[in-house]
Amino acid sequence: MKPFIEKLPTAVGDKLKGATVAEEEVLIQVATDMAGRERFDQRWLVVTDRQGLFLHANGGDGTIHLPMAEVKTARVEALVGGGYLEVERQVGDPIYLYYSNSLAPKFAEVAEGIKQLKQGDDLTLPTQVERTHCESCRRLLPEKDGICPACMKRLDTLKRLLGYINPYRAQAYLLLVVIVVAALAEMVPPIITEQIVDKVILPRQNYDLLVSMVLGLLGLSIFHWGALVARRWLGTWVGFRTIEDMRADLYRAFQHLPLRFYDKRKVGSLISRMTNDSDLVETYLIFDIPFIISNGLLIIGSLCMLFYYSWELTLLVLIPVPPIIFGSSLIWGRMESYWRRWSAKWSRLSSHFNESIRGIRVVKAFAQERREGLRFDRHNDELRQVSVSAERAWVVFFMVMNLFMSTGAFFAWYFGGKKVLGNAMETGDLIAFIAYLWMLYQPLKWFGDFYGFMVRAYAGAERIFEIIDANSEPFGDPQALPMPSIKGKVVFKDAYFGYDPGKPVLKGIDLEVAPGEMIGLVGKSGAGKSTLISLVSRFYDVTRGKLEIDGVDIRALRLEDLRSQIGLVAQQSFLFNTSIAENIRYGRPDATFAQVLAAARAANAHEFIVKKPEGYDMVVGEQGGKLSGGEKQRLAIARAILQDPRILILDEATSSLDTPTEKKIQEAIARLVRGRTTFAIAHRLSTLRSADRLVVVDEGKIAEVGTHEELMQRQGRFYNLVHTQRETSALMAVSG
Amino acid sequence: MVADKTEQDSVAGNGKPDQNRTITPIEVTHPEQVDVHKIRLLREPAWVLRMTIDQDRSYLKVKIVRAAPLSHPEKYISFLDAKDEEVCMVDNPRDLDEQTQQIINEELDRRYLTSIVEQVNSVRNEYGTSYWEVETNRGQREFVVQNVSENAQWLGDYRLLLVDVDGNRFEIPDLQALDRRSLGFVELVL
Repeated sequence: MKPFIEKLPTAVGDKLKGATVAEEEVLIQVATDMAGRERFDQRWLVVTDRQGLFLHANGGDGTIHLPMAEVKTARVEALVGGGYLEVERQVGDPIYLYYSNSLAPKFAEVAEGIKQLKQGDDLTLPTQVERTHCESCRRLLPEKDGICPACMKRLDTLKRLLGYINPYRAQAYLLLVVIVVAALAEMVPPIITEQIVDKVILPRQNYDLLVSMVLGLLGLSIFHWGALVARRWLGTWVGFRTIEDMRADLYRAFQHLPLRFYDKRKVGSLISRMTNDSDLVETYLIFDIPFIISNGLLIIGSLCMLFYYSWELTLLVLIPVPPIIFGSSLIWGRMESYWRRWSAKWSRLSSHFNESIRGIRVVKAFAQERREGLRFDRHNDELRQVSVSAERAWVVFFMVMNLFMSTGAFFAWYFGGKKVLGNAMETGDLIAFIAYLWMLYQPLKWFGDFYGFMVRAYAGAERIFEIIDANSEPFGDPQALPMPSIKGKVVFKDAYFGYDPGKPVLKGIDLEVAPGEMIGLVGKSGAGKSTLISLVSRFYDVTRGKLEIDGVDIRALRLEDLRSQIGLVAQQSFLFNTSIAENIRYGRPDATFAQVLAAARAANAHEFIVKKPEGYDMVVGEQGGKLSGGEKQRLAIARAILQDPRILILDEATSSLDTPTEKKIQEAIARLVRGRTTFAIAHRLSTLRSADRLVVVDEGKIAEVGTHEELMQRQGRFYNLVHTQRETSALMAVSG
Repeated sequence: MVADKTEQDSVAGNGKPDQNRTITPIEVTHPEQVDVHKIRLLREPAWVLRMTIDQDRSYLKVKIVRAAPLSHPEKYISFLDAKDEEVCMVDNPRDLDEQTQQIINEELDRRYLTSIVEQVNSVRNEYGTSYWEVETNRGQREFVVQNVSENAQWLGDYRLLLVDVDGNRFEIPDLQALDRRSLGFVELVL
């Protein structure tokens, strides 16, 4: 079903039928979630090829008909916590449709759609919208387009998880055997104690039997201990290897995901897939699965033994089991809320600490040490309170559980004891019975939490698989055309592009760039300059039209060949936390040291590098934190020089630097640009003087093209931009 | 306004020795200080809000916003022009004439769509996310809050603002005024 044709309630449908003619085509049919501002309810907007209709949810009166000819325009206004769609009419007051923030993205598209229809354009509404509700259970999703934790197919996920274990299946089977053996070893001792009681202690004889029985117990417990060690050993071996493979897959998937994927998501939530989610799966594989299997075996085994000794007593001692299971699952929920609160308080304390250490200069400069101390005390105190209540609840939980379990034992002692007195049961049997009883109860109290653990681990695994399964960029496509040496001719042919379909950022770009030519891109922020150059790197594909490199459609080219021949120097050049030499070598790891040196010289970087105590071996710190802005920029230029690209992109490469440094960088860039097709964006227009041609971009279209002189003579947009800049800098000079 | 500042500072300063030191006033020319009595708001035509200052300047499609919607909802009202640039600010709208005040209240009502929670029917906490079913002043509503500790803001000891996954706002003006069942649900997650 199309996302912008929503299913009408019958009452509204009937109303609509009465208001339209048969051959009228419904193009948009959407509901709001508010009626006016006052109530949460629905209003329906139906747009056909002839008119717009505004209907009440219950099919009540008050439908507004608005023939297309009377529509002036439509727009959305964002309010706090919601917004409205305003449809202006040629005559009279506009029509307003209010909605909550949940529907704001939908109505932004609808407004675009109405505008398109009004202008007689094709309706280009997105064919897919973000899912906010689970399709099968209608539950609101915690993350847009995310997975529904209640409806995921657990069996499929488990199968995939087991698929990761597959390479290590020999060890996994061995692990299973060890688990069974360990469980068996735990089951045997009560039988031996039974023998000791019945054959040695009560008759007060059989010393030899006693010795062999005790030796047997000793042997069993050593054996059990060995099996436990082996279980842990194998469990971690298999589990950690499995999770290692999964993390490797996840990382590869991240590297090959298209930028479009990253645009829509928060970095934090992606990083948590690598950290939290893989942690969850790790715990599940290494601790939970062996634990569940061995405890399951223990429960089944002890239950069998209990029935074997006395079925009447067993039925009796099973009475506290339902409350144990029910109570533990209830209290686990409570405990979880305590732990959540505890971790929230703890993270608040640590983030306050973090903040005040990072901001220590500001704290001192404003003499606020005392107040920060008091704030810390408050957080600290809150943490203590939560810790205490969590700990208390925990203790009470255990006490209550133990109490419940001992009631079972009381039953066993009393009724079992009566049977022993009546000679219906051996004393040893009763003792063994009680031992098995504890064996049954102990694992039960943990079972309340197993379900929660499992759900969380599965949700984590699902989120990981979601990334692994996402469509990656077409690397290694055998159909693609190899192009080991690009000449550098770049042609845009009526290129359209938008991050959201329906909202084009570039609208019909036509531009031909000769090999080796330098193009300066000028325009207001948001005009589409950065988007234009992202297309050249093929970070995104055009939605309409074409982009050709050396006469070949960029989509047909081998992506590896294209990217390896495009160099990028951005405003915030990202450096990796390795040595200076390694950073320069990033695009060409096989470069010799002599080549690195030459590149650094050409980039005017050599002079500052040799002043560092470790020279080229200096590690630059996270994101190049140990270097100044100008130094980082020169390393980025050296990196691009060594890469020797045919097409070069300079994105604000010289902004925010002091004058002498900027001169050095300008010089380095001039060396880099020579002979390469270059696209340069600069905020400061004077830095684009060396460009062969300037392209003024305005609202997604090319407004002016020409050399600096030509554009100045034309006295158009570029001329105006230059003048405003001059005035501003003159003003700054006077007041500064 | 100056008096207000020092009052806040003394709260914030927490017993620092120079807590009553006044703040040296600084002349600011932009955005301009407008004599509040010269401000008129009118709807002309009925769906377009127009603001005139001193009857010689007029702004179309004016937006009226609160500078501090949570801490000072009734005061510090800012007027933005069609391009979202501030035209001027009124510290206390009570200084304005009746009709203008009424328009301001209407416009503020329209802009701030925070719903007031009157009763909590259920809160489920699943998988680190809380699912709420509430009765508000606008009727029944379900919403999802992720990471409650980050998306719940205390505006006072008993006043709470919840922001759901879509950025919708739900306010509980006074926790103590809620019924016991509702309060129990809130306490379960907070």
